Amino acid sequence: MLRYVAKRLLLLVPVLIGLSILVFAYVRALPGGPAIALLGERATQESVEAINRELGLDQPIFVQYLRYAGNLIQGDFGSSVLSRRPVVEELLERFPATVELGFAAILFAVLAGIPLGFVAAKRYQGVLDNTSLVASLIGISFPVFFLALIMKYIFAVRLGWLPSIGRLDITRSLEHPTNFYLLDAIIAGDGAAFVDVVAHLLMPAIALGTIPLAIIARITRAATLDVLSEDYVRTARAKGLTTAVIDRRHILKNSLLPVVTVIGLQTGLLLTGAILTETVFAWPGVGTWMLNAINNRDYAVLQGGIVFFAFLVVVVNLLVDISYAFLNPRIRYQ
Amino acid sequence: MSIAEAEASQLAVEQPSGLWSDAWRRVRRNPAAWVGAGLLLFFVICAVFAPVIAPYGPQESVGSLAAVPPGPSAEYPFGLDEQGRDVLSRIIYGARLSLLVGVVSVAIGLSLGMVLGAISGYFGGRVDGVIMRFMDLMLSIPGFLLAIGLVTLLGRGLFQIMFAIGITTVPIFARLLRGSILAQREADYVLAARSVGTPGLRLLTVHILPNSIAPVIVQATLAMATAIIDVAGLSFLGLGPNDPGLPEWGKFLAENASRLQNSAHLVFFPGFAVVFSVLAFNLLGDALREAIDPKLRA
Repeated sequence: MLRYVAKRLLLLVPVLIGLSILVFAYVRALPGGPAIALLGERATQESVEAINRELGLDQPIFVQYLRYAGNLIQGDFGSSVLSRRPVVEELLERFPATVELGFAAILFAVLAGIPLGFVAAKRYQGVLDNTSLVASLIGISFPVFFLALIMKYIFAVRLGWLPSIGRLDITRSLEHPTNFYLLDAIIAGDGAAFVDVVAHLLMPAIALGTIPLAIIARITRAATLDVLSEDYVRTARAKGLTTAVIDRRHILKNSLLPVVTVIGLQTGLLLTGAILTETVFAWPGVGTWMLNAINNRDYAVLQGGIVFFAFLVVVVNLLVDISYAFLNPRIRYQ
Repeated sequence: MSIAEAEASQLAVEQPSGLWSDAWRRVRRNPAAWVGAGLLLFFVICAVFAPVIAPYGPQESVGSLAAVPPGPSAEYPFGLDEQGRDVLSRIIYGARLSLLVGVVSVAIGLSLGMVLGAISGYFGGRVDGVIMRFMDLMLSIPGFLLAIGLVTLLGRGLFQIMFAIGITTVPIFARLLRGSILAQREADYVLAARSVGTPGLRLLTVHILPNSIAPVIVQATLAMATAIIDVAGLSFLGLGPNDPGLPEWGKFLAENASRLQNSAHLVFFPGFAVVFSVLAFNLLGDALREAIDPKLRA
């Protein structure tokens, strides 16, 4: 097991190097450049050159890359042109908002998706099975921002049950030691604030979690169908085990293997979905932060954001592979 | 004539059922495929005959400028927008753009991805290693984020947007075709063709590709659905086609998202146009997958 993890970690190195080269080249290729972003379109040639010298942009390209990579390893993503604050500092502020939203979304998707897929497979080609198949196809056909807008219209505009924007009511004061508002509310021991945070979280999380829910339900169903026809299930039945025990110990446990992978694969989808969901609900997370960076040509933020997103996807996939090897010993010995 | 001969002649009459005729038979029996095909046909008709079907032009003002434009009525079934344009007409014309984006971007991604996947799978070795590592790298950046990045880099022309969305699908097609070719490369029929001296390129295009293409076709259908969603998403973020007159659904929806409270029809009609067109491709792709995937056969 340890050897497997070590091997996977080593394979991560070339991926991260390639990624940093790719993003570096991308940001260099963007029109404008930091000097123009700082000084505006009508800057003089001399002042542009002065800024370039100051930022080291007059050096040969590979020297620039090495310096950038060196900074990256030390966790230095540069500073935002707009706010003049270090990118890492802003990231640490924004990131908990997106993680809180993403976790809530995936929690919703898993809690609803796995039972739904499992029951659908058990009632193969029954009414519930067919209905959930059709519903999941319709579910993945909704653009996440449109679903978010519909929910906002129904539950915030028409019914007024839920708040439509932000993470917390602006009149409420709450200390933010962690920036995970749920945790912050617990730390402060403020029950009303906790309820308020949950109310703000509910719609964005359901909107963001709907597509993963549809996918998880479908995969669970397919995997359960596979396992249902296995010999060991028949054996378990033949030796007189109760249905509940077979369901739990023989079927569900084995059919969850592919589901774990799929949950991991949703990370990328969740992150990009978060950009759209955060826009609809004015959620102060990484998504809206990067979008602002694009609109304001804040390249340091954009660069840091993309590297960070991709890094996250790579690491989560690694964790999924490792957990997969842990759950299924057959993988390790290949 | 002996009994054996009589049976043999009867047997010969029956056509051997190949992968494609089998698949076609299964698709025809699937009601989901019919619904998907019907929906798609509806949108194609809207796109092709837009000037005939649409009551007004996409830019034509039939009402007056209004902060709160009138909603659906008998005269204008989908209502008017803030510039007094007929929403129904704009949505019918918009079908052209969405279908165009779906087809062109997938064509770009498919052709690039297939070339890379075929090279990778057929030659193997170091070439395969380099191509696949690069594909892995691209896959580590979430597709929609990659599209956002490329549009920022290339600009917001319609072609640039289709190109950007197409590029995000390249690694998917490349990996799929590579895997499929690898599975076919060592098959007996390929060995047989090779042993009678079939040249390499012919071996690839005539023997291996037709037998590896099925999963790629399924993926292409589903990718069109994603492409339509992605262009709508880009538009929603303000990164859609920069031509202000284009009646693109996502752009239409995005421009009116702030009017949700008073003029919900300006958000809902274009939104559902996106949903139904995406659903058409998803239904078709799903039916094709069920028809072609040997694992799902009863």
